[in-house]
Amino acid sequence: MSGVAMPLTFHGRARAALSDRTLHEALDRATAQLRSRRSTALDSLEHSDYVRDVARRARMTALRNLGALLREFESRLTENGCRVHWADTADDANRIIVRIAAEARVRRIAKSKSMVSEETHLNAALERAGLAVVETDLGEYVTQLAASRPSHIILPIVHMTREQVGRLLQEQLGVPYSDDPQVLAGYARAKLRAEFLRADMGITGANIGVAATGTICLVTNEGNGRMVTTLPRVHVVLMGIEKLVATMADLDAVLKVLARSATGQQLTAYTTLVRGPRRAGDACGPESMHVVLLDNGRTRLLAGESAEILGCIRCGACLNVCPVYRNIGGHAYGDTYPGPVGAVVTPGLRGIGNWAALPDASSLCGACRDICPVRLDIPRMLIAMRQEAVSCTPQPAWLRFGMRAFAWTAARPPMYRIVARLGGAVLRQRARNGWIHRAPGPLGAWTTCRDLRAPARRSFERQWRSRTEARHDRA
Amino acid sequence: MPTSSIVQLVPTCLVNDLDPEVGFASARVLARMGFHVEVPRGLTCCGQPAHNAGFADEARAVARHTLAVLADTTGPIVVPSGSCADMIVHQYPWLFEGDPDRRDRARAVAERTVEFSQFLLQQPPGRATCGALDARVAYHSSCHLLRGLGVTNTPSLLSSTRGTTVVPLEDQEECCGFGGLFSIKNAEISGRMLDRKLSAVAASGAERLVSCDLGCVLHLEGGARRRALSVRVQHLACFLDEALG
Amino acid sequence: MTARDAILARVDRAAAAGRVPGVPVGAAPPDERDRHDVLARFVRELRALGVEVFVEASDGDVRARVQAHVSGHRTVSWAAARLPYGTATVVSDGIPWDAAYADQASADVGLTGCDAAIADTGSLVLLSGPGAPRSTSLLPPVHVAIVRRDDIVSTAAEVFSHAADRMAQSACCTFITGPSRTADIELSLTIGVHGPGRLVVVVGP
Repeated sequence: MSGVAMPLTFHGRARAALSDRTLHEALDRATAQLRSRRSTALDSLEHSDYVRDVARRARMTALRNLGALLREFESRLTENGCRVHWADTADDANRIIVRIAAEARVRRIAKSKSMVSEETHLNAALERAGLAVVETDLGEYVTQLAASRPSHIILPIVHMTREQVGRLLQEQLGVPYSDDPQVLAGYARAKLRAEFLRADMGITGANIGVAATGTICLVTNEGNGRMVTTLPRVHVVLMGIEKLVATMADLDAVLKVLARSATGQQLTAYTTLVRGPRRAGDACGPESMHVVLLDNGRTRLLAGESAEILGCIRCGACLNVCPVYRNIGGHAYGDTYPGPVGAVVTPGLRGIGNWAALPDASSLCGACRDICPVRLDIPRMLIAMRQEAVSCTPQPAWLRFGMRAFAWTAARPPMYRIVARLGGAVLRQRARNGWIHRAPGPLGAWTTCRDLRAPARRSFERQWRSRTEARHDRA
Repeated sequence: MPTSSIVQLVPTCLVNDLDPEVGFASARVLARMGFHVEVPRGLTCCGQPAHNAGFADEARAVARHTLAVLADTTGPIVVPSGSCADMIVHQYPWLFEGDPDRRDRARAVAERTVEFSQFLLQQPPGRATCGALDARVAYHSSCHLLRGLGVTNTPSLLSSTRGTTVVPLEDQEECCGFGGLFSIKNAEISGRMLDRKLSAVAASGAERLVSCDLGCVLHLEGGARRRALSVRVQHLACFLDEALG
Repeated sequence: MTARDAILARVDRAAAAGRVPGVPVGAAPPDERDRHDVLARFVRELRALGVEVFVEASDGDVRARVQAHVSGHRTVSWAAARLPYGTATVVSDGIPWDAAYADQASADVGLTGCDAAIADTGSLVLLSGPGAPRSTSLLPPVHVAIVRRDDIVSTAAEVFSHAADRMAQSACCTFITGPSRTADIELSLTIGVHGPGRLVVVVGP
């Protein structure tokens, strides 16, 4: 990935991904396993439908009362000894964090995996400010070494094979080549141990924030999330304003489905509930803790047709079951959040203008809706995004005109019949033995990879009416 | 003929103009089960192509027309297409959310609307007619039938046919890549999904591939032809009609 | 207007648009769990997670079991008052709980108590506090935790409701569910990345 410029359009990136054999090798090795694990885990839960309902209610209730919950969260955080910062935009958030680092004379930063920090391109901003920053989640560390970006919400390097990871670590760390994940993880452990111990600041996201108690919940498996919230003297949390639940009971409801949907575990190895900096008598934990609450388009999403998507708990399950993601991987989506959820979130946060191709990149098969632990109706939101694209962005002339003509004629049956008959006649001209090998106009895209059946000479309805009328005549 | 035995058959735009035989096969199977089949006059399309493409106004214009036609009929509305049935059942009420009169009418029509295999499965056991056909068959559900309407037991219609063996497919429930306009706008991704599905079919040893949505059938059949695969792709109605002889 | 006020004003306006659906939820299904089964369930879940677990009948047995795991290994442990069953006595020449991180990281074993345990998920609940830092269960490659049988509950929900006050007093509550792990490389399970790769649980009477 490193050093290779990504094509600028979704279709260009998708095409590149489709012809990348190594990518498919990696994705195929991973997705099959993930799917089977996830279904065992959530299905193994007693009353799983009820559990999903309760998790969904926890998220939707939080979004409906978001203003009140944010104010409560801020108060509790402050009581717990945290400093709370508000950021309108990605740049604002980055500036705030650079300022916190400067004021605390921070030089080295250890980061735990955070999708929001990918969204704001925080690392680049920190490096521009002269700060040394290292990603400590194994997958994120590898993407950082590769100067790449994560391609999955919970599996950042699902696009890479073990051989690729082995070669990268060999080049970048000067260690002997291995394709054994245990050995590769050992290299990262040794290298990152030193980073944890000397970092002045830890940066994390928040999987969930609890308004009633001012708790930041982090779920991790490797232990890096614990390291960066325990050892450095400053802890900064960067989180989207939507990532709240009201109570600890609601937190419990979300935790019940989060790991099960993400990795097939009941709980991740570590669930860390942080309530502020170290207290009197504590021997570890940060001396100061900051929480940066980021909007960056979320309030716009909240006001729109797809507000529900903000209930996403970022488990990544919809990526694992998506047949489009499975074939093009995460980078083709072109931004932080890939897959079905990304196809709603990205245009939602960034505006539909440059991202209209994403909601189109779905067959609306509904696998994402079925798997979602909080029952987000992603296909419906994809349609809503397409509607926004139709009203706000330029459409191909054939499509806009075609749809208008379709709507006009389909409401006028005699006209519709005439157009269908004419269209059928034109297409039949191209047919051999009832099949068309190369269709004209937009239908040409169809015949790039499949033949097109030639339209019938007489429509079903014509034949039906003449047969039933013949029967009536006989009667 | 008691009115309770009247069913309205919605041929769908694809069946009407591309493969009328699916419509006749559906009608014959229903007639064999003792139903009097009517085809409502003035149907064109359910509006799904516009709806899925995000052309809400256009979709509403078409849906208004179709809704008016269907509301004027009696009896179950049987649609030999999972996605068109889902359009009427789930999408019409959404499209008319802001129009209480039409929304109520849409809900009433949705109540009466069933997909073809769903309708057969709803019939009492005595009414369903089992035919005979020697074949190894793979089944591909359309996504809207499976996940939209939640119909999972369609393959039992195949396995209850004497002589027919239903063979499983790898990633049985994965989309074939049709997706309406998706197959045109994202033809390369759609084509790759088609490749995967056809490879699974080839590996299954099936002689026939049966589906309940003509869109999927045209996509899979056209793909199989392009790849010179010998598998025969059929709509469920055609298969059952053939089995009934 | 500050960023705070601007964001909150937008949130309030958006909420007024009423775009987020309500979620009706049916009655909770009856809880048919066997409450007497918590210890057996806890042990089963721990084993499934790859945790070494020992259930001991007396204080002396607990001490002997812990001794077997720490003797001959450099051990960092919680303060004596925070370890049940008088276990601190089996650690000789240990690294103190408030030693420098680098010293703690050089230990072979971290020995801790446990504030609660969750049977359904096989989780240990550790609250940070004086004499009970988080680093002990994090930096050494082996973590030995001592659990009192009475502290085992069925669900996380019980911890959240019963231990709410204690949680409020603590800067950090950690649920530990099995050893440190990753599946980042081809979903291949790899144990012991940054946290302990070996977890030993000794349940006392």
